[in-house]
Amino acid sequence: MHLDSAQEKMLRGDLGEASQFAMEIISKVGDAVGADELVPIRSAHVLAHYSSLHDAGVEVLERFADSGGRFAVPTSVDPASVDLQSWKSFGIPENYARQQFRLCDAYAKLGGMRCWTCVQYQVCNFPKEGDVVAWAESSAVVFANSVLGARSNKITAGMDIACAILGLTPRFGMLRDENRRAEIAFELSLKGLTDLDFRSIGFFVGRNAGARVPFLDGLPRSVTSDQIKHLGAAAAAAGPVTMIHFPGITPGSNIVAEASGGEKVEEIEITRSSLSDIESDLNQTSEFPDLVAFGVPHLSVNELGELSKLLEGRKLKKGTKMYAYTSSQAYDMAERTGISATIEGAGVRLSQGTDAEISPLKALGFDTVLTNSAKLAEIVSSEGEIKVGYASQKEIIDRVTS
Amino acid sequence: MKQLLTKGKGLVMGSAAGETLVSQRAFTFAHGVDPSTGIVTDVRSDIRGSNVKGKILFYPFGKGSTTASSWFLETVRLGNNPAAVVTEAVDLSAVIGSIMAKVVYGKDIPVMSGIPRTAYSSLEAGAEVFLDARRGEVRMKK
Repeated sequence: MHLDSAQEKMLRGDLGEASQFAMEIISKVGDAVGADELVPIRSAHVLAHYSSLHDAGVEVLERFADSGGRFAVPTSVDPASVDLQSWKSFGIPENYARQQFRLCDAYAKLGGMRCWTCVQYQVCNFPKEGDVVAWAESSAVVFANSVLGARSNKITAGMDIACAILGLTPRFGMLRDENRRAEIAFELSLKGLTDLDFRSIGFFVGRNAGARVPFLDGLPRSVTSDQIKHLGAAAAAAGPVTMIHFPGITPGSNIVAEASGGEKVEEIEITRSSLSDIESDLNQTSEFPDLVAFGVPHLSVNELGELSKLLEGRKLKKGTKMYAYTSSQAYDMAERTGISATIEGAGVRLSQGTDAEISPLKALGFDTVLTNSAKLAEIVSSEGEIKVGYASQKEIIDRVTS
Repeated sequence: MKQLLTKGKGLVMGSAAGETLVSQRAFTFAHGVDPSTGIVTDVRSDIRGSNVKGKILFYPFGKGSTTASSWFLETVRLGNNPAAVVTEAVDLSAVIGSIMAKVVYGKDIPVMSGIPRTAYSSLEAGAEVFLDARRGEVRMKK
């Protein structure tokens, strides 16, 4: 990959240790993936949660922060592994929280926005069509490419911080027109889709597209950005998907020929039985759960409003907990509008700035988790220790409340 | 020269020898490998229960969370990393994980891509191979 003279200076260390460390990583990545040059980014989104970064990640983030690193572009951050306000009352062990707070301190020192959310595009990070960004968080990358028309690769931990510090990213993958073309088309002819269906559709697309860019036709015109958020998150959890062409939504992808650049592509129909297969794969237990988790990715304030309507006049049964995960911003709005009061009145807790899949669920004593999130179901069963049930929000609420 | 198994593209340079560990499905280190042991925990993995430590790890492509590179790096910190990674489609997580392993811990873990599943589908379990990322070659050790 070509470096200009300013970038060569960074690599030599002329601009300090942090930018040298960042440039060393990025130049090697650029060479590995066959990028031609570094291009400026408009924003970054990075990871700083202990459950996935582990002690190695704490070392790396502190090394960046302590050697003078500062973010060169507006940078948002994924959820933390603990509720930063109320971690003690959620039973998080002190030594675990301490490592998370080390990450929070290093991140703050680097100068990032302290939003702690996986839906930064609904909260504080708003690229417009054509903007190049360097985002971590697979679900947000799908949203950026597919809905906003921005361009991002799925930037993984370590590279995310390096890009944010340099304000640059190697040009490859989804930054290039030729790699954004649809290579497989999915046709959906089902009506009356539930919350669970949107997630199962995403999971089906992610699993069957493999490394190909999918085109998905047949979503209802009434589809909401929240529904697409969950569909994209499920797709990215199931496979390497970074973009889905949605006709009428994705800029320039109104028909499959536009999305594919005129190439003929394989077509797969999504039927009710496709979705049943996904459901039976993700739903591994029908046991009464220790924990019900909603909000992977984070619920918007609208979704909190829908949840509060379903919970009105109901009470959570004994022997289970229900957490609704959201951003601090949606949390505040829900407080002001009375939504929180209804949710909490049913015995449900709102948790802000963290999320279920990056919480130490096992250490907190949860052996069975029930969710409508395909992403959470996939991740929890990947760790292989906790049994997971997968059902629609309405069905779950019927099962665990009275 | 030993028998050539397959040719691909070296992404992170270096050479490695060892037993193969082969997955035919999407693979991830994130939540899918326990860094403290190297054991694959993912219930959807066809190599669940196997240990990646010291292995030449083959899989077609990655999946899921962008945190996979940090899970990879934690296996390196704890000495439970694979000796090399070979994929069909570029898995950025493995590439970054390996680059970070070199920059942070001074460890070489070569990564190759462009190798189709069919190239190693007939390998016997535990077959030993030698990999040279610079030449883009994987050879049988015997």
